[in-house]
Amino acid sequence: MSDRELEHALRDLGDHLDQPATPPLAEQVAARLREAPERRPVPSRRRLPGRWRWQRLAIAGLAAAVLAAAVLVLSPGTREAVADLLGLRGIRIQIGEPRPTSTTPPSTEAGGLGASLGLGRRTTLDEARRSVKFPVRLPTAAGFDRPDAVYVDPDQPADGRVDFVYRARPGLPASSYTEAGLLITQFRATVDLAYIKKLSGVSEVEFLRVNGGNAFWFSQPHELVFVDRHGSYQQERARLAGSTLIWEQGDVTYRLEGQISRDEAVRIAESMR
Amino acid sequence: MEGRPLDTEDDDQLVARAQRGEVHAYERLVRRHQDLAFRTAYLVTRSRSDAEDAAQEGFVKAWHALDRFRPGAPFRPWLLAIVANEARNRIRSARRQDSLALRAVEDRPSGDAAPSPEAAALASERRKTLLAAVNRLSESDREMLACRYFMELSEAETASVLGCRRGTVKSRTSRALGRLRAILAEQGIAQSLWPATEGVGGLKQRSDGPQSKEGGGE
Repeated sequence: MSDRELEHALRDLGDHLDQPATPPLAEQVAARLREAPERRPVPSRRRLPGRWRWQRLAIAGLAAAVLAAAVLVLSPGTREAVADLLGLRGIRIQIGEPRPTSTTPPSTEAGGLGASLGLGRRTTLDEARRSVKFPVRLPTAAGFDRPDAVYVDPDQPADGRVDFVYRARPGLPASSYTEAGLLITQFRATVDLAYIKKLSGVSEVEFLRVNGGNAFWFSQPHELVFVDRHGSYQQERARLAGSTLIWEQGDVTYRLEGQISRDEAVRIAESMR
Repeated sequence: MEGRPLDTEDDDQLVARAQRGEVHAYERLVRRHQDLAFRTAYLVTRSRSDAEDAAQEGFVKAWHALDRFRPGAPFRPWLLAIVANEARNRIRSARRQDSLALRAVEDRPSGDAAPSPEAAALASERRKTLLAAVNRLSESDREMLACRYFMELSEAETASVLGCRRGTVKSRTSRALGRLRAILAEQGIAQSLWPATEGVGGLKQRSDGPQSKEGGGE
């Protein structure tokens, strides 16, 4: 029996196997789509070189994601061991349960705008650029090209982070906790896509593209968990309790948080230079 | 309205219309691929309800992700990857591992000439023998053969459904075939059921003969 014959016999067998009947998926899906017909407009219609990598990551990373989620309840030593085991490199973001942020009343903040957000040290844009090991980008969108406050933390996470704080104003509502209306964070990291994919089953996350990179829109506040390159976890609060856009550009991850619409968030994100 | 006859549009055209928000076009796309999507999900979950759930969710997610779909790219592998991912999210720890079975009643595509009772009985015997051998394979071998031969997925599609690399698909397929062949040989039936050369083997005839199911289309 040649290979071809055997293969042919198998194909023939496949045609005669007992299978559960296919449910009326077309009707079910169409009904669901008509219920919520809102198609999400694309911020960017570019070719996606990473698409297949995504899919593979999502599938292959599923077990890892489950493990990684479980890791959170383990001891720090175990976490690192498991992180090693999973080959976690660089920094990843995982998105956990939303949690109330700070309890600071929304009055004038002692120490200035954003001081209660725990962002590190207040500084100037130039000094922030010198303090971190990645190129700092600034929005060019009108009204966002001059942050009201700049914070830098040169050490956490590993290559540092920079935060831009924008004061609340008409069209940019204050969060319930601070006078800040918008927060843009940048740091060197990669997004743990597998985990986000998994999460998308239980939580509202939209997959978008911003400037050709992966982007995720969370309409609800989320807590983030970073894993730095040593495999240790750092929690990251949702500081403004607003919606969040996370996107990647090169090896830098950006996070924009505030009570703004998705399209506005994407517009600001795409203007970052 | 141009009043296009149903289903003369190819996937590309339907995808393009679906990308513009036409639910109806997408519904047709779903109908076209729902069997394979469901079978894929069933292969992964081994549960009818989980497979239905995964396939439905996969189609809905694919709709919402259509904007990221590159026009002109093949739709099916992309879709299957999404569905398989949904299905994998639903794998339960105690996944059923039941044997495959043949359909009790053979349905034949209309237009096919009915084979003689003898030929039909012979073909049915062969399938039973082959199936018994397939059922003795490991779960992972069976999955691989199911993807490649029962569902006739491409290597790339198989890789995304089973969550392995494409090169792995090739080597695992060939190992699974080897083991299947060994089981058949062990049963001492390989020769008699599948004559190596130009025998009366219905299997061989089936591919080029008038009873070919594939050839009986439209």
